[in-house]
Amino acid sequence: MEKVGIVGFNQVKMYSDANYGRYEMIFEAVRGALDKAGLKKKDITTVISCTNDYYDGRTISNLFTVEVGGGYLVDESKCEMDGAHAVLYGLMRILSGNHKLAVIWSGSMPSCYPYHSARLYETDPTWERPLGYVNDITAGGFQMRAYMEKFGVSKEEIARVAVKNRKNATKNPLALAEAQNANLTVEDVLNSEIYSDPVTELMVAQPCDSVAALLLAPERQALKITDNPVWITGVGYSQEAYYLGERDLSISKSMEIAGKTAFNAAGIKDPKNEIDVAELFEAYAHEELILAEALGLADKGKAANLNSEINGDLAINPSGGALGGNPPCATGLIRIIEAAKQLRGEANGYQVKGAKKAIASGQIGMCAQNNILFALEGSD
Amino acid sequence: MSKLTQRKSLDYIKKEYVRTRTMPGSWYLSSYKFKFNIAHHQPMLEKLKEKKLIANQCSGCNRVFFPPRLVCGQCLVKPDRWVDIRDTARVATYAIAYLKNAETGEVEEKPMVLVQHDGADTCSIAELAPGVNVKDTYIGMPIKAHWSETATGGLMDIEYYDPIEDDAKDVK
Ligand SMILES: [Zn+2]
Repeated sequence: MEKVGIVGFNQVKMYSDANYGRYEMIFEAVRGALDKAGLKKKDITTVISCTNDYYDGRTISNLFTVEVGGGYLVDESKCEMDGAHAVLYGLMRILSGNHKLAVIWSGSMPSCYPYHSARLYETDPTWERPLGYVNDITAGGFQMRAYMEKFGVSKEEIARVAVKNRKNATKNPLALAEAQNANLTVEDVLNSEIYSDPVTELMVAQPCDSVAALLLAPERQALKITDNPVWITGVGYSQEAYYLGERDLSISKSMEIAGKTAFNAAGIKDPKNEIDVAELFEAYAHEELILAEALGLADKGKAANLNSEINGDLAINPSGGALGGNPPCATGLIRIIEAAKQLRGEANGYQVKGAKKAIASGQIGMCAQNNILFALEGSD
Repeated sequence: MSKLTQRKSLDYIKKEYVRTRTMPGSWYLSSYKFKFNIAHHQPMLEKLKEKKLIANQCSGCNRVFFPPRLVCGQCLVKPDRWVDIRDTARVATYAIAYLKNAETGEVEEKPMVLVQHDGADTCSIAELAPGVNVKDTYIGMPIKAHWSETATGGLMDIEYYDPIEDDAKDVK
């Protein structure tokens, strides 16, 4: 694969109820990314956004973002999944050989719409909806219970993930204030409000308002813009059956395939020892463990024993992960930005020492039905 | 970082945001019609009238689907056989949903289960009998379909699932 580099990024701080208009937030993310990289509007040749018609309250929602998102009179398109999928789309636009700079931006403002209620409409209208009240959180409950039962993992071990990520989030100035907590204990997590037993409030990545933007350029162009681009060395992408009843929820087959594909492309043979930092999109605390196991970072059922602190054996979500703030559509893109920060040594306060290789993931669907994984490498 | 000249500060982007105003609105598209083919699961609906269950099976991978599927995703073919399955099942996994009544404010505990019928490879979403204590529920719990008095050949003919005696021996 021809080398494609990340040459800039910017992210608006996450808020549970942002004092921003929708247009301004997108503008701040995109204009900020260009300004930080020293680029101008005329440098943009393609724009890929990731939003959702429902989340934006209008149909074909990328039409209203033409001006603020940098899409005016350039090649522009939208993907309606996770921001990480938009990065794959942007990467393909660059690899087509027709583009010098891709702007990828994504995010939404769930303070404007009932996020979890909207997700009730994700299940099959004929076979599943009439039979029971299942939204993303109930499905998260199915998944957590199946994982605990299959591998004998305790609630406490899962709560430890929430403690770690919410502690890490305190060092990340862009994380959601409500998610940051340096003094959180496992008991606090288990005693927080039950959302869907066994899932409690603090195990859920809270939807919040934010927009993030990322700039991609082909090798020659990237080196003109910056001395230390972050290279995309591999991408893997897969998805599982739509019906929850057809899946083994205790593992993630799609992430296993995504991981193999990405590692193959990047020439990574021993992910556990070669990767320095992982930013995984965990919509729930237990998903971080399931995804880490699918990627071979730990044996099945044993991810809880892995020391994944910032200075541990393999840092997972040093930025706080999705538990540190989960802006729908942007979360996967933010994982890629956070991994890039680590590789550029710009993660002030939560920097993993000497990080050279990183992975970042995005997901969409109930119980992480669809997973995408990026392998990234820093410049020397 | 960047080799190019950058703006000194990004503050100018932000400075106009003193406050925002929210405007209540709705985005209610009134209704939607879900169209689906009933021919492919008609045999199952006919059997429901007799309070019996059948599932369809893919001859490519031999998986037995209940509820029946139009297409097997693994083989990308239509399952072409019907097989009998039992109305006994097991709890594959479950979660408890807490539903708040908008008018009274009362919170209802509702266990949602994925049930795997004996003889099927896939699960369906279901509810347990209203009297079942959610604390007594476990993965692997044997259950049996509770049929409505007059089965009409619809999905709702199974009202919920009753627990039955667990005669499995714990294997150490
Ligand atoms: Zn098949």
